[in-house]
Amino acid sequence: MTQLYLITGINLLITLVLITLLSGCEPGEETGDRSSSVDGNGISIEGAWARPGSMGRMSAGYFLVTNFEDEPDTLKGVYSNVAQLTEIHESYEQEEGMVGMREVSEVVIQPNSTVSFEPGGLHVMFIQLTEALAENEDFELTLHFSNAGDVVLEIPVRN
Amino acid sequence: MDFLHVITVFFIRARLCVKHLKHNCMNKKSVLLVLVLISLVILAGCGEEAKDDYGDVSFNLVDQNGEEVNFPDDFRGKPLVLGFIYTHCPDICSLITANLYKTWIELDKPEDIHFVIVTFDPERDTPEVLKDYAADFSMDQPPFRFLTGPKEEVAAFMERVRVRNQVSDIHKTAEGEEMYFLDHTDKILLIDHNSRLVMDYGGSMTPTNIIIEDLEKL
Repeated sequence: MTQLYLITGINLLITLVLITLLSGCEPGEETGDRSSSVDGNGISIEGAWARPGSMGRMSAGYFLVTNFEDEPDTLKGVYSNVAQLTEIHESYEQEEGMVGMREVSEVVIQPNSTVSFEPGGLHVMFIQLTEALAENEDFELTLHFSNAGDVVLEIPVRN
Repeated sequence: MDFLHVITVFFIRARLCVKHLKHNCMNKKSVLLVLVLISLVILAGCGEEAKDDYGDVSFNLVDQNGEEVNFPDDFRGKPLVLGFIYTHCPDICSLITANLYKTWIELDKPEDIHFVIVTFDPERDTPEVLKDYAADFSMDQPPFRFLTGPKEEVAAFMERVRVRNQVSDIHKTAEGEEMYFLDHTDKILLIDHNSRLVMDYGGSMTPTNIIIEDLEKL
């Protein structure tokens, strides 16, 4: 009986060590699902902000977009006068600590869900600014949705 | 994952061994002792510091004001927090840059620590571009230095500090000019006053309190 307890205890220790190894030494995996459920009506944008940027340089904009409808909606494009190009981009992680950024053609917002445009993930990229974005100033950004049409935002600039 | 694979295989074998103790595979107490010791070693290894010594290298770079800088000679005698960016990257690289600024602010603007950011895109990130970039983060001021340099010198420096980059995407601007983006290592280094690497952080997502805790140990 003593031997049985000892073997069970060792097995428990082994299992705990394995769990510790697999959870403690590896970074947490992202689920890839940035949406969360909400209640309300229409498309709503909250918490918008953009980084400061000098003329000719780059900036990025962030916000939460919520679809209160019962049908999916799709963010098809982004427009602004403050940059030569305004695009939807996404930062991504690769193996061995490498990161990168790629253009995203559209973003689907599921019914009654929120999608986060946030640092290190989805963001609006302002490429080659045609005017400086100074801290505490605002500028206009238009988001084009397949169902909701154009949504115009005043985005504050801050770090 | 290779390391974890090896360890997992070891533990599976150990479990088999435990299961067959009566066949004299291993002494029970020995199995237990070895497992405990290995567990302790592995758990300690999770937080093990990456180490290197830059005392014998020399790279000639230039800061955002056009002043010549030698790494590591100009940074000896004080701890150095060192980040790597390119300015056409307003998301991840902004997080790396902001982490250095936040560390400085949260430490109450220390004068005895170097805060340096080096671009791995020297062809586009001239001193003038870096000066604009620094100003956008309120960092065009001492102690912050944003470094660039000749393409070959920067490439050799990046290789030495194990920062990789490669073109990932090429865009065309409204004027038809090609513009590239880079995949790159996401890294901040903590180097001590003797040019020895103390810690290697994931740059963009590292909480500043971790960097501060390590700085306070130096």
